[in-house]
Amino acid sequence: MRLPPGLRKAASVAIAAVGIVAVWALAAAALGKPFLPGPLRTFEAFGALIRDGYLGRHALASASRVFWALAASFVPAAALGLAAGRSRRVDTFVSPLVYILHPLPKVAFLPIILLVFGLGEASKIILVGLIVFSQILVSARDSSRRVPGQLMDSVRSLGASRLDLALRVVVPSALPDLLTSLRVSLGTAVAVLFLAETFATETGLGYLIVDAWARVAYAEMYAGIVALSLLGLGFFVAVDIAERLLCPWRSYRP
Amino acid sequence: MVELRELAIDYPAGSNSYRSSERVPAVSGSSATFATGGISAIVGPSGCGKTSIVHAIAGLLSPSSGEVLVEGEPVRGVRRRTAVIFQDYGLLPWLTVEGNAALPLALDGVGRSERRRRVRPVLDELGLSAFGRFYPSGLSGGMKQRVAIARALTSEPDLLLMDEPFSSLDALTREAAQEFLLGVRRSRPLTIVVVTHSIEEAAYLAESVFVMGGRNPGVIKERFDVPENGSAIRFPIGDGPSGIADFRSAPRYLELCAAIRASLRGGGPIDDAGEPR
Repeated sequence: MRLPPGLRKAASVAIAAVGIVAVWALAAAALGKPFLPGPLRTFEAFGALIRDGYLGRHALASASRVFWALAASFVPAAALGLAAGRSRRVDTFVSPLVYILHPLPKVAFLPIILLVFGLGEASKIILVGLIVFSQILVSARDSSRRVPGQLMDSVRSLGASRLDLALRVVVPSALPDLLTSLRVSLGTAVAVLFLAETFATETGLGYLIVDAWARVAYAEMYAGIVALSLLGLGFFVAVDIAERLLCPWRSYRP
Repeated sequence: MVELRELAIDYPAGSNSYRSSERVPAVSGSSATFATGGISAIVGPSGCGKTSIVHAIAGLLSPSSGEVLVEGEPVRGVRRRTAVIFQDYGLLPWLTVEGNAALPLALDGVGRSERRRRVRPVLDELGLSAFGRFYPSGLSGGMKQRVAIARALTSEPDLLLMDEPFSSLDALTREAAQEFLLGVRRSRPLTIVVVTHSIEEAAYLAESVFVMGGRNPGVIKERFDVPENGSAIRFPIGDGPSGIADFRSAPRYLELCAAIRASLRGGGPIDDAGEPR
């Protein structure tokens, strides 16, 4: 049976998920400790938390933080990085920024960000946004440097303006790389969001998990972890769909 | 008519060089005249500066001295009616065949339906109309080549520059592409300058063959006129596929190839890489 590639991928993800749940069930049964409830109990708690709207509220808070962080950082980082890769003048300003900002673990800024931007939403969005920003900046810069010179020349020979070259050559050429690094940085972003949500907030999956932990409600804690994984998966799938729509030439099969 | 007057081109020595004022010469004191409405060829070994000359004629780089005149006008920057076909075709992977062919129109701000209307006859002429929705990655080398020609023709050029246009094609596809080019030339008034390292290709296509020699800098050193090709371009003769394929086996053609080869060798010493010194 031949499935379309999208379905085949979904099927393989589902099979992997079943495998993980099976290992989890075995480990829980073998260990028999309260801090590792089996999948069944966890899913029961998951269902209960969804029914009373508790999980939905926290998941939405986390999702919207990641979304706004992405929305605020992706385009500026991509634009700045692409410009830096193509223009020595822009790169003089961007390069030092990259070398200082990128290797630094952005999580270490959490206390500073909390002090400067307060305990509210802004500081969480800024922390996650910073991570996405630096990742996208680096890959946009590297990717736009790799645009083949002959491609630029061939479009330039048709009388393209600098703006034409940027929009018709540099951006589409870098787009697949940008989406790949978006995927990578989303993983880090969700991890850092968890940490940020354990401080000074009463919303978000990070809070839900740590709160359940403190109340020794292990099934609820695991339900939160499952929800966080699903959130990450959801963003992953969203990027896949975006790539399919934005880069149709990549999925071409003769 | 395209005229090179004592053209010299140089490049910065290494893009990361600290001493960026240091420059490497690519071409020196080269003069040539490419006749309007004909096919001219520049033939030379790799690294002799052929591509630099194409870039200078296209206005993609400015000469360090001397000048290029196209139809009497000195070239300063990209010229609207000059089309260039690059060695690897320069097609945008994210545009379909139709999108690539229509690119010059899109850059001119021509609307979508008007672009369609104007590209269709060109795609038809090149036998590409069934592949309009394909991306370049799904095409063979010979077809990519035709898309590149389609794109060039869409801009309605009077001058077509081709940099090693057939070098990555297999022998038969290459000969078909050469016939094809002759057909294109016959159907419209077009000055064509082909840069090639193939002696046979230059001798087969061009009315005038310019031989380059040397390296860093290279120089145009000799000119061969092939009036037979001139009349073949305009009037197909003989009984080959396009009427002129028999020229390849004519004694005159073989003599010409030998003469060009001798000129490329330059009678001078050959260095280790087999290139004339």
